[in-house]
Amino acid sequence: MSTAPAERVWEVFRQEDEGAPMVHAGNVNAPDDELAMHYAREFYGRRGESHRLWIVARDAITELDDPDLLKPPFDRSHKKPGGYIIKHKLEAAKQRALAETGE
Amino acid sequence: MTEALGLEPATRDALAELLLATADDEFVIGFWDSEWTGIAPMLEEDVATSSVAQDEIGHAKALYELLGELTDEDPDRIAYGREPDRYRHASLLNHRRGDWAFTVARRYLYETADAVRLGALARSTHQPLALLAGKMRREETYHLLHADAWLRRLADAPADVRARLADAIRTLWPDAQDVFAPLAGEEELVRGGMLPTPMRALHADWQARVRPVLEPIAGPLPDAAPRLDGRDRRSRDFAWLHGEFTSVARADERATW
Repeated sequence: MSTAPAERVWEVFRQEDEGAPMVHAGNVNAPDDELAMHYAREFYGRRGESHRLWIVARDAITELDDPDLLKPPFDRSHKKPGGYIIKHKLEAAKQRALAETGE
Repeated sequence: MTEALGLEPATRDALAELLLATADDEFVIGFWDSEWTGIAPMLEEDVATSSVAQDEIGHAKALYELLGELTDEDPDRIAYGREPDRYRHASLLNHRRGDWAFTVARRYLYETADAVRLGALARSTHQPLALLAGKMRREETYHLLHADAWLRRLADAPADVRARLADAIRTLWPDAQDVFAPLAGEEELVRGGMLPTPMRALHADWQARVRPVLEPIAGPLPDAAPRLDGRDRRSRDFAWLHGEFTSVARADERATW
């Protein structure tokens, strides 16, 4: 149509079953949220494959991709669980507990 | 079958007429709207329109199967084996798809009428029909929302689009009434509760529902009632469509699918 209004992009997330995580499925073009819902349903739900859809206007999403914030230049391995070696500490704690109950 | 055998012949014929009329409506609008596949206003709408059209043909299939059980006919033969003048769809479905505004106007008129009709069929004393109508309603709710979204969208569009929509509504208005054309043997169906509400009453419900929506768009719509021959009017457009949708079936009548 010559007078078609500007289309927006809507990101669609789908959940396969109740309790399952919402997973990004893809996106649709639509002029408003009402038609976006219809199109999301047609593309990501019409075969009965979805329990729930989230339809989010792409321009409503706050994006963060700044490497200074996400990929800091210093060693930050101590912020990962793998940065702590607690296997031996756990073992020692277990032995202590056993010894106490044994008494 | 067993249940069908328990019916009086007059009741069975009337029920067959109801099933055939409803099935043909769904079948024919499904084929008209499938004519948008590949050329709808945008890709997403192309998929949506095609999917709705496919749903309608699916509903027709279920109804033809119900009819086949009743009359001991092959549902595919009922769907594809008749001459154009034996189809029982309402005259609303005699028009070719037209432009997008025309399609939206027709879909709105048809979906609203179908919703009213299905509301009654879901209360039918003929259990298989009531069950099927209940299932169809779940899908038709979405079809109606989709048609309604487009009607409002075009009604709020600039003047040239709005004018096309208004023209289409006025053109289709007299024929839309015919979805509620009286059926042969209808009194019999109403008496037994197979059609719990007569077509005349369903028609009044439908008009009360759509006039307040359509008149702000199209202006005052004339008094109009379903015509006695509302399901007997064939058109050149339909003859063409019939040639299209029967072409594969006619190519090899003994083929199995």
